[in-house]
Amino acid sequence: MLKITPEEIKLITKYIYEISGIYLDESKKYLLETRLNTIAEEQGCSSYQDFYQKAKADASKTIERRIIDAISTNETLFFRDSGPFQLLQHKIFPELIDARAPKSPMLKTNLKIWSAASSTGQELYSVAIVLQELLGDMSKYSIKLLGTDISDAAISQASSGKYNKFEIERGLSRDKLTRYFTSIGQTWKVSDHLRAMVNFRKFNLMSPFTSLGKFDVILCRNVAIYFTLEDRKKLFNKIADALEPDGYLIIGSTESLTGICPRFIPKRHLRSIFYQLK
Amino acid sequence: MNSMTILVADDDPVIRKLFEKRLGKEGYTVTIAADGAEAARLLDTRPFDVIITDLVMPGKIGGIELLKLAKEKSVEIEVIVITAHSSIDTAVDAMKKGAVDYLEKPINFDELFLRLEKISERKALMKNAGDLREAMEVTESSAAQTIQNLEIINSNQQQLLDQLETILTNGRQEQGKRIEQALHLLTNRSL
Repeated sequence: MLKITPEEIKLITKYIYEISGIYLDESKKYLLETRLNTIAEEQGCSSYQDFYQKAKADASKTIERRIIDAISTNETLFFRDSGPFQLLQHKIFPELIDARAPKSPMLKTNLKIWSAASSTGQELYSVAIVLQELLGDMSKYSIKLLGTDISDAAISQASSGKYNKFEIERGLSRDKLTRYFTSIGQTWKVSDHLRAMVNFRKFNLMSPFTSLGKFDVILCRNVAIYFTLEDRKKLFNKIADALEPDGYLIIGSTESLTGICPRFIPKRHLRSIFYQLK
Repeated sequence: MNSMTILVADDDPVIRKLFEKRLGKEGYTVTIAADGAEAARLLDTRPFDVIITDLVMPGKIGGIELLKLAKEKSVEIEVIVITAHSSIDTAVDAMKKGAVDYLEKPINFDELFLRLEKISERKALMKNAGDLREAMEVTESSAAQTIQNLEIINSNQQQLLDQLETILTNGRQEQGKRIEQALHLLTNRSL
């Protein structure tokens, strides 16, 4: 395995920060070596210095994309931590459906939901399942579910809607599994109906949000933990701008906005917390 | 020590007996079924780690049907199919449908034991990962409650501070009145 020197750790972590916003401190030597070794060797690099030069010089950005895929964490599952989904089902969606009820029966109820770090898509599909179970007939609604992630590989899997048995079996009841998925050998694929409800695209949370528009619900769970304090402040400030005045923000269950963004006020419902603008 | 439970389904009594003897000697807990239907019934009575099944058996439930039934019961049940050399295509089809491996007749038991060991190792790793995940979830949920409580307390205190600031810096009121209002707010706050 290619060994990384302390100087190279500084160089590579700085580079990763620049391309992804993910902040790795110098204690992450092992993580860097294990996750980057394959790419570095494939590129025929003699050192990580060499690897860095190659990645920087690669106009196609293939190496950059592969580094992001390797470094970003994709630990996720369907209905990961039931709290947020119960919150959506019993509190947030019913309130929003009321608040967004159209003035004329001819019009549809519009909802925009964003999973800001959608990884391989389980979170957004789980939200789609909650909506489907709650609303039944979707013809009266115009619902946009957007999932974004910095990793091309994650977006590509999310878009395919295909999961192996390990990715599928945790979190999903057999009932939901048979209702919303079809099995092709060892693989499970989300139903076309569910797939049609969602959209995935690559997006770096460090970039401006202006192109995204405003959302009624934003889920930004367990991604800011990889950012520096300064970048977290910027991120949640931009999220505040991208949220409708009465919109809802859900962050990871062990995350906090204290000292990060004073524009939000936490509210408790059952065993979960959500945030709204002051 | 082999602690896996194995269900063997084969309509040939000689082969059944052979499996029972050889696998039992290796320390596996073996249950035998004379056809697919019996195997399917047994699936309902207790959990199995591995099913070894002949592809072609008399009756409505053949190897492929048994494989489907097992996977519907639990994706964690691993299925090895046994096939005659002439029907490799069917075995490959079975693997596409979720079988972990196939064995050709006549059975090479050393080969089977190796494959079972691999399955056992993988199951142990999976269990280990599952245990770690469970431990993480317990820690995470406990931390979440603490953090959420702090978040609410902090937010309430911040609101109180903001209100006090508004009252105390209100230039249109005289100082005594401002202090009185601030004290009133402090004594009536809900903790």
